[in-house]
Amino acid sequence: MSVRLATRAIAIMVLALALVGVGASAVAAQPAADPHAGHAHGPGEHGGAQAQPQRAADAGDHAEPVGFQNSRIAALFFWIFAGLTLGGALFVITRKNLIAAVMGMVGTFFALAGLYAMLYAHFLAVIQVLVYAGAIMVLFVFVVMILNRPEDEPWALQGLLGKALAGLAILYLVGRLSGVLWDVKDSPHAAVAAPRPEPVAVSVRGGAAEHPAAAPPAQEDWGSTRAVGRVLFSEYLFPFEAVSLVLLVAVVGGIAVARPHKQDEDRRSDEVSA
Amino acid sequence: MSQIFYELTVSHFLILAAALFAVGTVGVLMRRNALIVMMSIELMLNAGNLTVLAFARYHGGLAGLEGHALAFVIIAVAAAEAAVGLAIVVAVFRSRRHADIDRLTLLKH
Repeated sequence: MSVRLATRAIAIMVLALALVGVGASAVAAQPAADPHAGHAHGPGEHGGAQAQPQRAADAGDHAEPVGFQNSRIAALFFWIFAGLTLGGALFVITRKNLIAAVMGMVGTFFALAGLYAMLYAHFLAVIQVLVYAGAIMVLFVFVVMILNRPEDEPWALQGLLGKALAGLAILYLVGRLSGVLWDVKDSPHAAVAAPRPEPVAVSVRGGAAEHPAAAPPAQEDWGSTRAVGRVLFSEYLFPFEAVSLVLLVAVVGGIAVARPHKQDEDRRSDEVSA
Repeated sequence: MSQIFYELTVSHFLILAAALFAVGTVGVLMRRNALIVMMSIELMLNAGNLTVLAFARYHGGLAGLEGHALAFVIIAVAAAEAAVGLAIVVAVFRSRRHADIDRLTLLKH
């Protein structure tokens, strides 16, 4: 029973992963979209127009702004990702089996990464998958394994559905990876990802206004690793370093708390002998 | 009316984040297993992150990228929180042989 639930959770996760891949392809296939295009439909219409006057002038007619957020495919993906996110979250809080809950959590995080990508937060989408779906969930799985007694039934996919889903997942992943590796040389996306010469406002006077981070990022660069890193390593360098200190303290604190203490072992041996 | 379904606005993402936060809150309040409670806390943190990123996208420009920096810091702090919280769960389990938060009433009185 629990294994079947876990299988279902893995199916959700794989589906989310596939959708993230397809969504990323859809984003890449779109023409260079304007991150500010959403302003025209948002409540703060005039605010966006004030902030970017020349861009609004470039856009020409305001009637039909182009952009990823205004395409119906994007809306479809939003609803799919939203359903996966909420479904995964509900899955997490309703499961008795902890491993199934963790797998639902991973599916939720993949769907959230897709939503982040839709919000042009590409760097954070990757970070979401790496840190949350990767590191934190592995930590959870470890603790679940420590806390739970091993199950009697071995970990195996049961039933035709599970096997078919697992086979499809493996086929999909292999095909996807080989597809990426196949056309990595003449991929049109490589031109986008390649570093472009950007004017960096390096000033000898060194005023706050001429800070390198104050240079507005290129339109299609918004939310990329490059743009976020420029902000993170210039203006927000101190919070960045503070976060490293927080992580160090968390590591030391985690080891100090979870380490088996002497009195615990003494008490346990007392309980055993008594 | 049907525009709601195919014209995405920032409200879509905000409402989704609110719903996700609500699910996380329900998980924290209703579940008794400490690990599920921690996962629900992670859900709530992710809902907050989704809100931050939706507003960053809505604002755009350099301020939006600062929102991305904030979300990055939130993810790092969430990782630290998960590490320490799971260490506490492990320590509690080691001394009590369970991780049922309804039975952890030592500090109640």
